[in-house]
Amino acid sequence: MDRRLNEVPHGERLTLQFEGGDVTACAGESVAVALFASGENVLSRSIKYHRPRGFFCLAGHCGACLMRIDGKPNVRACKTPAKEGMRVERQNAFPTGAFDVLGAADFFFPKGMDHHTMMTSPRALNAVLNKVVRQLGGLGKLPDLPTPQERTVELPRPRTKHVDVVVVGGGPAGLGCATECARAGKKTLLVDEQDRVGGSLLAHPQHGVRAANEALAAALKAGVEVLSSSTVLAWYPEDAPKAGAEPGLLAVHTPDGLLKLTASRYVYATGSYDQNAIFTDNDRPGVLPARAVGRLLVRFGVRPAKKPVVVGDGPYAKALTDALAKTGATVTRIDGHAEQITQANGRSWVRSVQTSKQRTIKCDLVAVAALPAPASELPRQHGVPVAFTDRLGGFHCQVDEDGRSPVPHVFACGDVTGFGGIDDAISAGARCGRAVVASFSGNGVGKSA
Amino acid sequence: MSTKAIVCRCEDVTLADIQHTLEIGYRTVEEVKRYTGLGTGPCEGKECMAQAARLCLMALRTDGPDKNDAVVEPFTSRPPVQPAPLGIFARGDEEP
Repeated sequence: MDRRLNEVPHGERLTLQFEGGDVTACAGESVAVALFASGENVLSRSIKYHRPRGFFCLAGHCGACLMRIDGKPNVRACKTPAKEGMRVERQNAFPTGAFDVLGAADFFFPKGMDHHTMMTSPRALNAVLNKVVRQLGGLGKLPDLPTPQERTVELPRPRTKHVDVVVVGGGPAGLGCATECARAGKKTLLVDEQDRVGGSLLAHPQHGVRAANEALAAALKAGVEVLSSSTVLAWYPEDAPKAGAEPGLLAVHTPDGLLKLTASRYVYATGSYDQNAIFTDNDRPGVLPARAVGRLLVRFGVRPAKKPVVVGDGPYAKALTDALAKTGATVTRIDGHAEQITQANGRSWVRSVQTSKQRTIKCDLVAVAALPAPASELPRQHGVPVAFTDRLGGFHCQVDEDGRSPVPHVFACGDVTGFGGIDDAISAGARCGRAVVASFSGNGVGKSA
Repeated sequence: MSTKAIVCRCEDVTLADIQHTLEIGYRTVEEVKRYTGLGTGPCEGKECMAQAARLCLMALRTDGPDKNDAVVEPFTSRPPVQPAPLGIFARGDEEP
């Protein structure tokens, strides 16, 4: 099977080793996308009930696609670029990921396991069962022993860096904000965890790769330094980058090791995390967030499905429905309010859904356009207050309309301040950028760079 | 295979697990996390915390009219927000 669209250019063909068999990948694809495009459905088994799992968010946020790659356990297949000869295996299953006898746990505990009440008597049997459970528990197995060459590789030294402005997140808000700052002459660094900058632009049929490339080109032209494939791990308030320096730094996991990053202004444009709807067997492989389906189609040129169901009534659900129809798919859209999904059917991939209007819809994919949740962990670590607002998707940063937070020198813009989508993020990013620039010119609030 | 509505995919926490937690009287996201393990897997709550907060709020509102203005708080965000290999932290010395 090959789900790649012919009318879209794909990278050079290469071959992955997937549990002893060959799977074709194209350069530029992640392992998860390559496996999906080649027709592999189950990527992992769940931790407790060993339910089959495919990828979910396709953005490196959820825990659905952890695989053993080149002998290393718990690697996110959706964030690992496919490379020639890469060894890819499913984990957490016995004997194989395709047929896992441990899936019996799901069958034997139809109402779920409550570990608070799970004890066996007599005590000796309990001890034995504890040993069994410890063997089965946890995620993955220890990594392969390092080869002699790997043993001689030196661990990377941490580096330090200081900039005027750091923008965390390279989506529509972050790119716009960084561009404004750099145009005003500020030394600006944009950090993005994906290998390709653009964030949610790369999942939107009406924006897509071209819009992402244009926004990136504008940022680079303005003088923004872009650090992609780099994840900001944490704000450490007590650590100083060097002895005697002021404490507080961002720890960034870059391809070259740890970067201790400090800045005169911090901007969080971390976006939002895709969410699922709650219905029976909503974790079936093939039940995906709408933006993951959008990423497959828009960024990777892979046909997501022939008979998808799109759940949602917002503008993004509409745009995705139209784009899927253009690939020749027969799309069913349900609004998610008046008619909701009540159950997904299928084993290793979704085959039909039942709805609250007693309909059964045959399908080969479910795209759930649920409200994404603001990605507010990093600003929360930095002291930015958050509030829970249902219609904004979850815990969002509390900032003023220009993105100023109550914490000095800390800003936030885009979906992290409450889900608003791409158009809102673009305007919020630009506004925030101007506010960041203004904060440098002596109104007493900003410290000098 | 039996049927389950999953809220926390990483730790296989079901809607029924959370409903049970609320039934026995817990009302905060932190308590739901500690009782069920929700949010303690590799995604660290990115997929389930907002959902848990929503369920807590609904339970609070059924407790009585005095809880209509109740607020929910997220559980603490701790470093690192994404898994990272320990090797990158292993060396203390910095590049000159």
